[in-house]
Amino acid sequence: MIDFLLKETADENLIVLFNGDLDIDSTEVVEEELLPAIENYKLVNINFENVPFVDSSGMGLLLTIVQSLKAKGVKVTISQVNEDVQFIFEMLQIPEILGEDTFI
Amino acid sequence: MQSIVSKGKTIQEAIETGLNLLEVSKDEVNIEIIQQESKSFFKMKSKAAIVKLTKLEQKPIQKQESEENQIDVDPFEVINDWIDNIPDSKSMPEFLTVEQENELKQDEWTKPQSESLTGNAWVKNGVLLCECSPTRFPMVTIPDGVKVYRNNQIIQERTFVMTEKDEYKIQLESEEKETSWELVMDPQKLHVELHIEPGYKITRSLCDTEPAQHIDLVIEERKEVQNTLSYEDVVNKLADLGVKHGFHQGEIIKATEASEPVVFTIASGIEAIPGKDGYIELKINTKTENKLKENEDGRVDYREFKTIPNVEVGTVIAILHPPIPGKPGRTVTNEPIPPKQAAHVFVKIGRGITVVDNKIIAIKSGRPYFEERGNIVKFSVMPKLIHQGNVDLSSGNIRFMGDVEITGEVCERMKVEAEGNIVVHKSVNMASLTASGAVVVSGNIVSSEITAGKNNIVVAEVGNLLEPINKDLIRIIQIMKQLMSSPGFKANDLSRNGLQPLIKLLLEKKFSTFPALIKQYVKTVKKGENYLTDKIWMETAASLSKLFLSLSKEVISIEWIMELSKKLQELHELSQMPVEPNSYIVIPNALNSRLYCSGDVKVTEQGSVNTKIVAGGKLNIKGALRGGEVFGQLGAKVNEAGSESRTPTLISVPRDQKIYIDTAMDGTSIKIGNAQYNFIETRKHIIAYLDKNEKISFE
Repeated sequence: MIDFLLKETADENLIVLFNGDLDIDSTEVVEEELLPAIENYKLVNINFENVPFVDSSGMGLLLTIVQSLKAKGVKVTISQVNEDVQFIFEMLQIPEILGEDTFI
Repeated sequence: MQSIVSKGKTIQEAIETGLNLLEVSKDEVNIEIIQQESKSFFKMKSKAAIVKLTKLEQKPIQKQESEENQIDVDPFEVINDWIDNIPDSKSMPEFLTVEQENELKQDEWTKPQSESLTGNAWVKNGVLLCECSPTRFPMVTIPDGVKVYRNNQIIQERTFVMTEKDEYKIQLESEEKETSWELVMDPQKLHVELHIEPGYKITRSLCDTEPAQHIDLVIEERKEVQNTLSYEDVVNKLADLGVKHGFHQGEIIKATEASEPVVFTIASGIEAIPGKDGYIELKINTKTENKLKENEDGRVDYREFKTIPNVEVGTVIAILHPPIPGKPGRTVTNEPIPPKQAAHVFVKIGRGITVVDNKIIAIKSGRPYFEERGNIVKFSVMPKLIHQGNVDLSSGNIRFMGDVEITGEVCERMKVEAEGNIVVHKSVNMASLTASGAVVVSGNIVSSEITAGKNNIVVAEVGNLLEPINKDLIRIIQIMKQLMSSPGFKANDLSRNGLQPLIKLLLEKKFSTFPALIKQYVKTVKKGENYLTDKIWMETAASLSKLFLSLSKEVISIEWIMELSKKLQELHELSQMPVEPNSYIVIPNALNSRLYCSGDVKVTEQGSVNTKIVAGGKLNIKGALRGGEVFGQLGAKVNEAGSESRTPTLISVPRDQKIYIDTAMDGTSIKIGNAQYNFIETRKHIIAYLDKNEKISFE
């Protein structure tokens, strides 16, 4: 289950600090709370520092976030992914799906 | 006069050697140079210096000298002195009388002091001895393996001149080898071999040799076998290897007594007895193909085809013999060896067949049909439809679950489909014939499409599609397993939502081409549905579609996908297996038509014109092949290819097959594997194949 914290930067961009596992139980939180809150920014950075685990539904959710924001003209970047999670992302070629420049 | 020939590196050396041998000083000899030493680079061709030294009659010279020195001496006294000295023969052996010599020769040769031994060498009690005379020096030849030292210096020459004043030592080497042995167990642990090379000691001694001017040293070798292997050694080593079973005590004892290198099998396991595969014993003749025989003119008598063997209700068609299981064996380490599993034969029951106690029995009358693919055999009884007259608009198309025989023609735009064979007595014109079995037409084929062994063609087609699908599926399973064991991956949603979210992720990028493969498979299976008698093709198509195309919400486990992959593998392998008996097409002529057959295609009369032929077996065109493309999976044989008007004509076979053409005209092309060759002039008696360099060659 994921929790998130929003932080606006000086240049009116948004940093989303994820906290917890990005998993099947996060669906509601993400779709109903997070997405409406961030879709009006130009640039959103999602910080994965405190995400120790992901599951397949959680990754599906991540793809939905990035792709739906992209469709609305919001550029999303993802940073500080821990090593174990990054390994899984790479195995599933998620950086290639989202575009290599998404991961910073 | 005593003279010797002496050799040396330089003339000086040669002279010195000679003087030493003669035991004289330089001014007591006459020196004759026989050969100058010569040297060349690298000493390759250097020649020794050779000189001949002749001892001068020294005494008179000495006398003369003394005379000269002592002029005042009375010459008579001198002569008297000299005469007094004569009896002192010891110092002057040359003056021995003949009588004395004979006396000496009678002496035993064992007396080294004996005068008759002069100039001889001999061996007595292992000692090399000689006696030189001023006129003769004995020669000694050294055999291999013996070293002779002269004054502690090894003699390099094979044959040397022996002198009394030097000291000779003979070195005889003795050899000793320890017993070596090892145990060798075969990988199957069925046999233990003991390889033994017993140790030995070889002692050499010098044999006695009679005195002679030239002697060969004779060596006597005594070999003593010293086999130190003990029974306990072997038993201990066997215990180390874990051998517990099947010892041959007698062989071990023999090994300890062996005097030569030899191999003994000292323990044997029991080999597993392989099981006997199950098999089908046919009780009737199911081969109709043999009924179509060519007569002496090479023509096929199509009327003969009617004599298909028929069975009545209740006839036993075949007996199914179950496999006989093998017996397990035992290794020397007392582990069981499983026997080769005996394969089962699986019987598929078609129409008109039932099985009672391993007996396959016809429950309908008709033509018995038997087909073998791998370890699956299929039986059915084909009913037969005989259509009198033509197939035309008034009769309508014919679709029949058995054999079809048409006594007339098949007319324009008509279709005949049969699950068994199709036989047409007259021509086929602008029509289509499709049979799972064979197609035999007695008349001409014009602008028609003929397919024989349709089911086999479809099976091959869908089977081929399964290979890339299963390759991807296996990789998908691997990645799923890898993900599930990754530390950052949470797998608990898989039990709730199944694998679908994960599959969706995989199809997003990594396997983005996978759904297209499945779509094609599903489509091809659907198209060939009528000819795929086995439901498993449709089932796998449905499973794949549900899993990867519609992504249904049904909870699916990885085990289920693995099971599916195994099924695909089996199906693919099955589709690659040859079918026995295969179908065939036999027709006299074809014009502007298309012929597809999973087995052999034979065109028996004038030939094939502008026709496409694909034969899964052998292709044989007795007449001419003018235009069109033909392919023979198991080789192609054409009497005459191409035409005067250079109609493009292509004959192709796979890379491991040959093409036989009696006459190939300009415009004919042949293709073997990927290599193509175009004939630009008429050529006869062609046998073409692909050589090692992947180029077409002719025999």
